[in-house]
Amino acid sequence: MPGSVHSDSQDQSMVDAGQEQPEVPIQLDEKRIVVLPGADEHNASFQFENEGHTLGNALRYAIMKNAEVEFCGYTIPHPSDPKMHLRIQTTDQTTALAALEKGFSDLMDLCDVVTEKFTESRDRFNEESSNRMQV
Amino acid sequence: MAPLVPSQEELQRRRIIGINAETVTNIPSTDFPGHWPGESHSWALDKFKNGFNVEFHRNDPYEASFSLIGLDAAVANAFRRILMAEIPTLAIEYVFVHNNTSVIQDEVLAQRLGLIPLKGSVEGINWMQWFRKESEEDDGTPADTPSDFNTVVMHLDVECTINADAEPGEQDPRKLYHNAHVYAKDLTFHAVGRQEEYFAGDGAIQPVNPDILIAKLRPGQVIQLEMHCIKGIGADHAKFSPVATASYRLLPDIKIERPIIGEDAKKFAKCFPKGVITLEPVTSAEASRPGSGYEGHAGELKAVVRDAFNDTVSRECLRHEEFQGKVKLGRVRDHFIFNVESTGQFESDVLFLEAVKVLKLKCARWKRGLSDLMA
Amino acid sequence: MSREAYQVPSMGTQNAFGNDAGYTNAMATDTPSVVYLCGECSARVPLKRGDQIRCKDCGHRVLYKERTKRMVQFEAR
Repeated sequence: MPGSVHSDSQDQSMVDAGQEQPEVPIQLDEKRIVVLPGADEHNASFQFENEGHTLGNALRYAIMKNAEVEFCGYTIPHPSDPKMHLRIQTTDQTTALAALEKGFSDLMDLCDVVTEKFTESRDRFNEESSNRMQV
Repeated sequence: MAPLVPSQEELQRRRIIGINAETVTNIPSTDFPGHWPGESHSWALDKFKNGFNVEFHRNDPYEASFSLIGLDAAVANAFRRILMAEIPTLAIEYVFVHNNTSVIQDEVLAQRLGLIPLKGSVEGINWMQWFRKESEEDDGTPADTPSDFNTVVMHLDVECTINADAEPGEQDPRKLYHNAHVYAKDLTFHAVGRQEEYFAGDGAIQPVNPDILIAKLRPGQVIQLEMHCIKGIGADHAKFSPVATASYRLLPDIKIERPIIGEDAKKFAKCFPKGVITLEPVTSAEASRPGSGYEGHAGELKAVVRDAFNDTVSRECLRHEEFQGKVKLGRVRDHFIFNVESTGQFESDVLFLEAVKVLKLKCARWKRGLSDLMA
Repeated sequence: MSREAYQVPSMGTQNAFGNDAGYTNAMATDTPSVVYLCGECSARVPLKRGDQIRCKDCGHRVLYKERTKRMVQFEAR
């Protein structure tokens, strides 16, 4: 899209380059989970906006790892609609919402372990290769 | 009742995805509660911690290769997808053409400029914020004003002139003229405000590769333009992707189930890339063991799997009659061999750590949004 | 209005619709010269109205318009 805009006089240099932060820091937390109609305590579908397979599948895995969850699946109902639906059905021991929250927590814990092990392994590798260089 | 614990062999068997000549078997992971009766596959952090491992194969700034072992494909794929599409970098977004008399059209030139990978001090990149564009839904939110914390300004100002010092009869336009070729190194960075501190010295915003050809000029032709670089993500446009490639493959697995000896062994080795299959002499101990299939073949060469890592799993060996039923190909379900090539802004290993961070942040943010759902 | 009667607008203040003398009048006034570029030697050729379309240096008869002096904005996508 060429989107050519004519403006004769104005210099396009940055108008304001002063020591200034934006008045409102850009809101990244506007994300809202919507519970789709037809939900009860144990069976619910959640709608995530602007999410796709990246979070959908990872979250599905984490939630399916919960023994109290009978079913968990995700779908992107339409490819040109940036929405992801996640379905959770649980036993009487827990609720769909609790299972979702546990899924997030477990995934975050997993991330911590991956970071820790990755850094450890990389540092070891770097050390070994620098030793090899010296020999 | 304590949960059943499957045997080591059984677990090993479940880890292998079977690869046949035309089909793939044992594809989905089964390590979920309720799949295997009596077994517990519930999430347990310590269990994951014990089973998870990282092995590095290569760690260079522009390319890293490592194995993540003991992970589910869903998570490995999330990391890969985030690497490509959700880690922000800087790229040229707006081009203000003051003059362009070259043969390359403005819009084509602008597109080319956008694709040039840029680098600058990591601290500065992290300090920079998003430049919010005008909303597409027309809800009246105006675009941000370009400022030092959201826009980097670069200039390109070149004119092609005749080189008076060129040798007579010179044919090479690069010697015949000044600036016959415009390269990425001709882009100049102009620090504004706090950018002077963040992008000082070696940390200046510059193209990763100075030798990218942008345009060709002839005497009298001029390009004068100003470029605004903003932060963006690969999901929006590939020019923002911090990686050239980020991919994984599963570790190949080759099992020789019945002996392959002599000429067959040589042919078998040729079905694989170099170093995957090696030939070893059959020992007399093996030859004397009845039912081993080596009886009477002492001293002959047999095929042995040396290093399945480098196999391409071409399935060539499955095409030959003589190897039918003697070999089983597969891939290890939870052994992901990642290959990450950075475009230059970040080091490849740092990129992976960023990807993990992004996934965690995503979870944290959604989880926070969950609290008002609970109320 | 017939095709012949059409006048290029903004050429001088006298709007001489239906006036046969209008055309010659416009010729007589000082028309601004427009710079063109020679298609052969890239020389700058200022032309006035009615001038022969020809490069003054090399005689080439193909002339090009100069590029706009305006800034044009593009998205690098």
